[in-house]
Amino acid sequence: MKIYLKALSLHLKSELEYRSSFIISFLSQILVFFSYYFIIIAMFSKFSNIKGFSMYEVLLCFSIIQFGFAFNEVFARGIDKFDDLIVQGNFDRLLLRPKNIIIQVLCSQSDFVKLSRLIQALIVMVIALINLNINWNIYRVFCLIFMIISGIVIFFGIFILAASYCFITVQGLEVRNVFTDGGKQMAQYPIGVFKKGFVYFFTFIIPYAFVNYYPLLYFVGKSNNIIFGFSPLIVLLYLVPCIVVFYLGIRHYNSVGS
Amino acid sequence: MKAYITYFKLKFITGLQYRSAALAGISTQFFFGFVYIMVYVAFYESGSGSVPMPLSSLITYVWLNQAFFALINQFYKDPELFNLIRSGNISYELSRPKNLYCMWYFKLLGQRLANVTMRFFPLLIITCLLPEPYNFSMPGNMLIFLVFLISMFVGTLLVTAMTVLYPIVMLTTMNEKGIVNIIVVVADLLSGVGIPIVFFPKLLKTISSFLPFQYISDLPFRIYVGNINTINGLYGIIIQFIWLVIIIVIGNLLMNKNIKRVSVQGG
Repeated sequence: MKIYLKALSLHLKSELEYRSSFIISFLSQILVFFSYYFIIIAMFSKFSNIKGFSMYEVLLCFSIIQFGFAFNEVFARGIDKFDDLIVQGNFDRLLLRPKNIIIQVLCSQSDFVKLSRLIQALIVMVIALINLNINWNIYRVFCLIFMIISGIVIFFGIFILAASYCFITVQGLEVRNVFTDGGKQMAQYPIGVFKKGFVYFFTFIIPYAFVNYYPLLYFVGKSNNIIFGFSPLIVLLYLVPCIVVFYLGIRHYNSVGS
Repeated sequence: MKAYITYFKLKFITGLQYRSAALAGISTQFFFGFVYIMVYVAFYESGSGSVPMPLSSLITYVWLNQAFFALINQFYKDPELFNLIRSGNISYELSRPKNLYCMWYFKLLGQRLANVTMRFFPLLIITCLLPEPYNFSMPGNMLIFLVFLISMFVGTLLVTAMTVLYPIVMLTTMNEKGIVNIIVVVADLLSGVGIPIVFFPKLLKTISSFLPFQYISDLPFRIYVGNINTINGLYGIIIQFIWLVIIIVIGNLLMNKNIKRVSVQGG
């Protein structure tokens, strides 16, 4: 952990060396992110609800998912860009070191420009929370915290899975985007609004529904089932197979040489 | 002129070699199109409010967007041109007795057309066969299709003219991030790739009508789905053409101005 923080501060310093470039990229990222929730707001200017969810409920869902995704883009960039490590042969170097391999991959890169998304996601979240009439109690506070954490965890898991894919081939990596960006795009809306087949897929195969649907139902008072409030914890279990797959991949890893 | 056409052909044929990339592109585009459509279907099923476009038109619009994505998106960045500028190899280009603007224009046009040629047809075939309401539908009549084709052709020339501007701007900024990125994001939003312009709030719709971005793909696609009738479509094509001329002129002026002060860094 200490090593990771040290690496983070080094990355931050090196990015800030190019200050004007950093600031402009930061601004353009704010615009990119704006275009995401602009779509939602524009749709709600024509429609009053989506399958019974109001605009602020969708925005809350959106902000939790985007927060989780952006968090990983900033702090787990090394896993997102794992193919660079493999293609350049730098992964061999990491394997030689006597430290946990995932921590090392995490240390290899970070992207502080994406902080702009993280901050904006937080702002959207706060705005949504203010405008929703939440019947606050201690369980709902926990529910919200669990949702945010599970949002981070699920994308971490998916990033690790996508990284494991690089052990098989580094060709056609755009397919990964279907699961990372595509999943993010879908999960901006509560999974329950989609057709049944998709809901099952995103409950049992990739458990988005436990991040943004079941807990949301409890949180906004559409359901009184308190188990829904704690359902994001299931996502933590999802991390286990992801990490196992990653280690299996390492065992079969052939260096590309460098 | 012949030299430019040959250059265009060369880039087009080179572009056709990247078949596995195209396959990955098709599957990604298909998935994203599906996600957009499912969101729209959910909205329309929830009913209420006046919709600017019937669902079947909107779905066809989304599929057109996905099928021609390689042609109309602004995010296209040509690493070759940017590297040329950064590495200083641009001096070779400058020493050739040809107009650099035309060279770049035909190069980008060739690449774009090659990319889209491999992608749009399979995607449209697959989406035609999907069950209702997810399917891609045919145009109302031949006249509509003809006007669509003309408008699509001018739109293609227009988007290429815009993307040539990016490396030209980079001649002075030396960084493809920054200003260029900001323009690209705004252009992408206002060209209706994320959401059709008809869904925009009124103010933004008005602003957008004074900008060239909606004439890239929003106009031809709306003609195709019948959201704009053929007469208004033809008016639209005239405006499209005017924008095309304006942007090519701006591009040439900028190019001439920037080349005068270009400083080759080593190489």
